[in-house]
Amino acid sequence: MKDLEFFRNLAIGQYVDARSSFHSLGAGTKGFVLFALALVAIAAPSPLGAALPFVAALALGRAAGLGSGFLVRGVKPALPVFVFAALLQFLFAWPGDSSPVLVAFGPVAATLREAWIAASVIARTASMIVAVGLYTATTPESEAARAVEEGLLPLARLGLPVHRLALAVATAIRFVPIVASELESVVKAQASRGGRFGAGRGGPLAKARAYLPLFVPVTVRALERAELLAEAMEARCYTGEGRSRDPRRSTMRGEWAVRAAAFALAAAVLAIDALILIPRIRPW
Amino acid sequence: MPLIEAHAVSYTYPESPHPALTEVSLSVEAGDYLAILGANGSGKSSLLRLLNGQRIPSSGYVRVAGLDAGLAENAALVRKTLCLVFQSPPDQIVSSVVEEDVAFGPENLGLERADIESRVEEALAAVGLLEERRRPTHALSAGQQQRLAIAGALAMRPACVAFDEATSMLDPPSREAVLRIMDELVARGVAVIHVTHDMAEAARAARVLVLSAGRVAFEGTPDELFSAADGRTQPPALTLGLGLPPAAHAARVLGLAPRAREDASGLAARLLAEHPEIRYAALPARTADVSDDSPIGQIPAAASPFPAFAAEDLAYAYLHGTLNETEALRGVSFSLDRGMSLALVGRTGSGKSTLLQLLDALARPASGRLKALGVAVPARQDAARRDARGKGGAPLLGRRRAYKAAVAEDELLRLRTRAPLSVQRPETALFERYAGDDVAFGPRNLGLFGAALVTRVRRAMDEVGLPFEAFRDRPIRALSGGEKRKLALAGVLALEPEALLLDEPTSALDPETRSAVLRVIGARRASGSTVVMATHSMEEAALADRIAVFARGRLVAFGSPRSLFYESYDPSWGVARPFAVELALALAAGGCGLLVQGARPLFPEEIAAVISSVTAADGAEGLR
Repeated sequence: MKDLEFFRNLAIGQYVDARSSFHSLGAGTKGFVLFALALVAIAAPSPLGAALPFVAALALGRAAGLGSGFLVRGVKPALPVFVFAALLQFLFAWPGDSSPVLVAFGPVAATLREAWIAASVIARTASMIVAVGLYTATTPESEAARAVEEGLLPLARLGLPVHRLALAVATAIRFVPIVASELESVVKAQASRGGRFGAGRGGPLAKARAYLPLFVPVTVRALERAELLAEAMEARCYTGEGRSRDPRRSTMRGEWAVRAAAFALAAAVLAIDALILIPRIRPW
Repeated sequence: MPLIEAHAVSYTYPESPHPALTEVSLSVEAGDYLAILGANGSGKSSLLRLLNGQRIPSSGYVRVAGLDAGLAENAALVRKTLCLVFQSPPDQIVSSVVEEDVAFGPENLGLERADIESRVEEALAAVGLLEERRRPTHALSAGQQQRLAIAGALAMRPACVAFDEATSMLDPPSREAVLRIMDELVARGVAVIHVTHDMAEAARAARVLVLSAGRVAFEGTPDELFSAADGRTQPPALTLGLGLPPAAHAARVLGLAPRAREDASGLAARLLAEHPEIRYAALPARTADVSDDSPIGQIPAAASPFPAFAAEDLAYAYLHGTLNETEALRGVSFSLDRGMSLALVGRTGSGKSTLLQLLDALARPASGRLKALGVAVPARQDAARRDARGKGGAPLLGRRRAYKAAVAEDELLRLRTRAPLSVQRPETALFERYAGDDVAFGPRNLGLFGAALVTRVRRAMDEVGLPFEAFRDRPIRALSGGEKRKLALAGVLALEPEALLLDEPTSALDPETRSAVLRVIGARRASGSTVVMATHSMEEAALADRIAVFARGRLVAFGSPRSLFYESYDPSWGVARPFAVELALALAAGGCGLLVQGARPLFPEEIAAVISSVTAADGAEGLR
């Protein structure tokens, strides 16, 4: 028997409410940082370069007050994948691989080139996991919607109602926990009256019918709450037009520096990796 | 010129055969304080929406600051003059950050940034949320969220703020905070309109308007509403089916003139002046004593061998096993005998609802021991250990363990219907098209059908006051809010449960529906059901055999109403005392015996009986 707690199983990142300068960056800027980290993780030619975002994200996470174990723990579920990736490298030889053999078990040999590639795959994946973890841990879902607005902004010139669209996205995201809590309450109410969902026998129609006691009230409540919210917004003079210029834009200016720095760093790392590191340490 | 003026407005919702409002007139001046009372569905909310132009009257007119509220071009001016605060705090929040939410209204008006900033600051300061301005809105408590909604209204610099049952979903301390803000607004010259079901709240206003079936049934001062002047035998509040504030009710049954705004000590002083003899009377109540109290938070040594619920060191955490794990309950121990009633009190988020879910096996304790109606509800860690054992070991033994586990699980599932939980606002879980079908959902899940099923449904519907014959085929959509609440209660009663678990069963109900629901619960208690009920009303809690006080996930006090309210009362619980207790204490301070009977405080009716017996004895002595 499972507990009827839905929030725990909601897998939309894990926002950690803490105060840090990284937390207070705009969601768009954090998105840029994530993008820069991902760029290095994917494009860095050496495993060392690919591992750099891992270290950088951990350092940022530490600065953001996430605690050292939190982000690393996110990598744990990927460990079997890492082992599999490494095995794959060692089992199958690259054509024309002339790099020195490190270890050999009969026909299976681990060459330096294979180790290099395996390390790259692992470094890239681990870096990506940690970078995404950093983003979701420091950005509440509702602010991610703000990043959507920012991303859409250039389309405003084409006459797209960007603000309204963004408000719709933000509201939709805000409704996820609301609907989840309504669902939880309804499931509890029906379970108290002996309702067992998913245990129904019979064809698909009968099974679908078994979920009516959940589906109907949750839909009705979600619509009701949407209407209440609309009414509250209307009472506060919302018409969708004639609003003040959004202040978030002006606060973004300082953050351009952060974005530029993130990209400059990413570019520098890539350049150093490709132009200086690779020619010296690549063994073939 | 009045600030707000409605002249003979009528309104009928599209697709509705009956008008919601008929020829309603009212006027509100600057700095006015008007309370609007009326049953669920009497048109109060519709009236507010006509006043701020969100609905347009079918006839009559509304003027706000001299402007016709029905005209679209006046909408912005009207809505920034008359701002609304609604019932449900989370349904009014637009932004994810406190100060941005407050800025939403001013931004809609197209104001300059500097102006918006100063308005936001001023509004947050007025509701005491300035410290929280950078916090995410979802991290606020319900009470804070409601104050945020008020700040959102104040940022418009309105001339009038209308509260639409804005206190009904709050715990008493949060409610008090909102009421204080209303007082401050009025003192600053901002008019306040307060739609409420609470008579004590209405008594704080300068004027009261009562709506009944869409018409104005009364208009006057709270004193006129709650006292029987002009040779009437009943105060208008009673003829209108509203009830009285606790003090006015007590005054009335004690034979004194009810006053709208009187506290317990004022009433006690009047009572002692009127009946000085009760000071010296040997009060029967004083001698009666039942030793029924257990040390706080502990299982009484002489606990019955068949308790309905026995908890030992219960703990529970939401989002268990994640970084955001939050403790909801810790170290909770108590025992409740079968047939007894228990009231759970404490602030919102103190753990009351969590405990109810554990008692119903809807959630499993993280640790500790819990026995509900003889069934052991295993803690999460024990269950995990048992599962692990079931997997290993000899195959035959494993199978036997699996069988036993299945039996245990079945028992837990059955427990849910033996002690069903009626969740908060249970009417939101109604799902069938017709009333009778929804009540039948539970008994049908128990395997009943045919005549037995009909009997169950009939009995439950009759019991809650929705006669089976009249209501079975009514579409649920067409029921009023109060009727839906009763129907949801019938859906639980139709299970013929041994124990009832109720989460705020009377929240946001009008006085009539509220007493109807309390009558049904009382009847179940009288017929031997165990009742556990979370409530914010101390008047309701005082009626229970036991009260459990929760604060921040801990059971801080457990005992009879008498022991809690008289002997070990602690204001830090954040729980007020019922008026009957305040009165008894005020009388005791004036030289009377402490008016308690057995385990609970004497209610005004009983105090009146004491007085009449004392005065009768005095009269007899005088004759001798």
